Amino acid sequence: MSPVDEPRLASEPNGGGLPALTVSQVSVSFGGVSALTDVNLVVPPGTVTGLIGPNGAGKTTLFNVISGLQEPDRGAIHFFDTDVTMMKPYRRARLGLARTFQRLELFGTLTAGENVQVGLESTVKWWQWRHLRKALWRNSGAESARGDSTAVDALVGSDALAVTTPDRLLAEVGLGGMSNEQANAMPTGLARTVELARGLAIGPKLLLLDEPGSGLDEAESQALGTLLVRLASTGMAVLLVEHDMELVMRICDRILVLDFGHVIATGTPEAIRSDPTVQAAYLGAGSTSGGTQ
Amino acid sequence: MTSFLQYTIFGIILGAGFAIAATGLVVTYTTSGVFNFAHGAVGMIAAFSYWELVANHHVPVVLALVIILLIGAPIAGALVERVLMRRLHGATAERPIMVTLGLLVILTGVATIVWSPKNQYQLSPIVSGSFRQVSINLQYQQVLTIGIAIALVIGLRFLFSSTRTGVGLRAVVDDPGLLAMSGASPDAMSQYGWILGFVMAALAGVLLALTQEQTGISIVAMTLLVVNGYAAAIVGRLKNIPVTFIAAIVIGLLEDYIIYYALPHLSQGLNSDITLALPMVFLFIALVMLPSVRLRAVGRLSTVRVPRMPSGKESLLGGVAFFVLAVIASVVLSSAVVRGTNLLNLGGEIMALGIVGLSLVLLTGYSGQVSLCQFSFMGIGAFLMGKVAGGGSLLGLVAAALVCAVLGALVALPTLRLRALYFALATFAFADAVDQGFFQDSRVFGGGINVGRIVLPGLSFGGNRSEFLLLSAFFVLVALLVLTIRRSLFGRRLVAMSDSPAAYATVGLNLAVTKVAVFAIAAALAGIAGGLYATVNGTVGSSDFDFFSGIIFVLFVTVWSIRTVSGAFLAAVTFVVLTTFWSTGLGLVAGAGIILIGRAASGILGIDRLSTLLPLPWVKRASGGGDSGTLAGIGITPMGGEARVAG
Repeated sequence: MSPVDEPRLASEPNGGGLPALTVSQVSVSFGGVSALTDVNLVVPPGTVTGLIGPNGAGKTTLFNVISGLQEPDRGAIHFFDTDVTMMKPYRRARLGLARTFQRLELFGTLTAGENVQVGLESTVKWWQWRHLRKALWRNSGAESARGDSTAVDALVGSDALAVTTPDRLLAEVGLGGMSNEQANAMPTGLARTVELARGLAIGPKLLLLDEPGSGLDEAESQALGTLLVRLASTGMAVLLVEHDMELVMRICDRILVLDFGHVIATGTPEAIRSDPTVQAAYLGAGSTSGGTQ
Repeated sequence: MTSFLQYTIFGIILGAGFAIAATGLVVTYTTSGVFNFAHGAVGMIAAFSYWELVANHHVPVVLALVIILLIGAPIAGALVERVLMRRLHGATAERPIMVTLGLLVILTGVATIVWSPKNQYQLSPIVSGSFRQVSINLQYQQVLTIGIAIALVIGLRFLFSSTRTGVGLRAVVDDPGLLAMSGASPDAMSQYGWILGFVMAALAGVLLALTQEQTGISIVAMTLLVVNGYAAAIVGRLKNIPVTFIAAIVIGLLEDYIIYYALPHLSQGLNSDITLALPMVFLFIALVMLPSVRLRAVGRLSTVRVPRMPSGKESLLGGVAFFVLAVIASVVLSSAVVRGTNLLNLGGEIMALGIVGLSLVLLTGYSGQVSLCQFSFMGIGAFLMGKVAGGGSLLGLVAAALVCAVLGALVALPTLRLRALYFALATFAFADAVDQGFFQDSRVFGGGINVGRIVLPGLSFGGNRSEFLLLSAFFVLVALLVLTIRRSLFGRRLVAMSDSPAAYATVGLNLAVTKVAVFAIAAALAGIAGGLYATVNGTVGSSDFDFFSGIIFVLFVTVWSIRTVSGAFLAAVTFVVLTTFWSTGLGLVAGAGIILIGRAASGILGIDRLSTLLPLPWVKRASGGGDSGTLAGIGITPMGGEARVAG
């Protein structure tokens, strides 16, 4: 992968149809403390939308609401034209909504390849004989998917990436040859990338990434940016929570800023960079560089 | 009307006893984050100690209470916290489950040695005498119990909400690091919590023992009497003392009304079954009524180093080698007799129990679901084997598998939305309810039911050798099945579900379906094991599948290694050998084993260094505060560096 040469500052996101994600008037409170208040958000297909804000602003809570781990007190979530507000997380995932976590949620005792494989096989019925038969002789692990790309391709059903086996998918995100590494033994940066690959394995139409750049060095961060832009170019909608402002400003089409559970600004990276409200609340009053953190 | 009033007052008195037990549980949980399964056993030890001092050695009541409540219980609580619990800080809920279960079986084991179950242990009230009010005779002892319960609730409420110590006691669970920054010692706070919990367990034990004036106290009954407190504590969500108190009173009333109004209309046998099973039924209902737990991203990676998974070919070769060894053993040991039992029959028992162990490998080792009721399914399987098609028929095995699978699914369905602790408690309740309400019923096993050896067309397994080989073959086949499942797509899902339920759901997988499926499969395996077990000696009884034996067996599998086939087999060997040669020590060995192994990742079979086993205060925890393994509760803890010997 090569770094992105030019910032994507698309003011007109591609995809003229329905938004991939529509968050309407969502509010969440915990024991009287308001975490989100009347949050509205639209993520069109084929775009990277940034979600930024100070720690405790409500970004992860919003991700939890979108992915179904947190029920909102009020408001609605639409995934394309489907109301998913009360839908269980696994059903949302089956519709094509994938996510990663701020704090790693890998299948730690499985290998990197198996992590991805669980995602690839998520729609397979385990009791089918052809899957049981494989287990009779083969060892557990990513090997079992090798040479079966046709079947796995069919499972993934995604045109986002031309990769459909764990090895190939891992290679695509820069983890070639690491399929047999036990996930809980991997460094944080690499483990985050495995989590991303696992999310991609379900063939998502909307990808929620919660600080994927955390633990990555500069080159890896560049590569991540390239990958996300590439994913968006295939029509996938990406919602990105990230503290690396350079990365956010470089690849996002639009940015939404949260502060104390309220949306305080939305717009293009340039608009956000120069928004005095954002500067005061997040980047720090007087700052215009946008290069914090 | 008078009788209703009388039953109401008796119900309140009963509930007050439960309330004292329940608030003790809540105190321990609030201050340590640990649900102490040994709470009832601590109360039982206190009750027997009270009997020992007052009835046996004629120590004055007040002095006896001082010795038990102000000296013995606090020292025991402090020791348990310091030696066993402190090193579990930061561990997931499952790990303390096993350690406190270990403590439970140790205490009951010790009590069995000290106070023989053959003897009677009668107690007199602390305060004698009675008075008459509204045509009802009330004993001063009963009023004292209610008064103590109310005083405790008020006192604890005040302690936790209005004092700096109380806030510290609560804070130590939420964030010990933050508590330390405020100048308080998290370790000291935790220790105070355990001391308080033990004192309350002891107080509940003594007061509840005094309600057993007519029947006398027994080890099992006293240990399980507190289970009524479990239900109340669950209703109070293990944190709300006033709600817990009210729930305990309601449960006391319900129990009294059911016993006096409903049960007399039932047959004697059913009446007895329901009475015995009531506490567990209340607990099960309380668990089912709990709101669903929200899936949380815990942000902790399992740090367990998993054993290498053999390939299909390696598994098959291992299975063949095992069977060849079994054939050789069947020839060499064919006429050996130990304690009046043919050694091959003991071998057959080992194979059958080994299959139960394999069901635990699948259920707990792979998928992280702690089940304490595999012996219940085993007993049901044995019962069906004896009843279906005249006994000893393969149809019996099929029935055992199917019925247990369905039962397993039914147990799992209402509780699978709960978190690990509550799920384990539900299986605990189911196991005891089945034992008390079904196995102990004289119409079920009676003095033992006869089960013939399996007969297949053209094949007879009447001889001990052929029976042993048949069971060995079954063990090998089930072992191969379990390993195949682990290598399969389903096996990956089981491990994934165990490692991160939140991630599991967000990749599009249905937790509920997977949990029910694995629970049903494991129950079916345990049912088959029970059916086979029944054929070994030709007769089985309720004592073969009693509640405590089931818990002890789970502990043995955990001690050896709950993730491996070898662990299941060695646990079965240990269980059968100890049952044969030193049955009194069964619980002691299992409890001591789990306490020692709590530090080692994959049981004895995964030990890197002996020092990791030592539960000594100077063996420090690794940085990061304990075990982050998602299977930690079953004794699977981080390997290779968790423990460091100071100096």
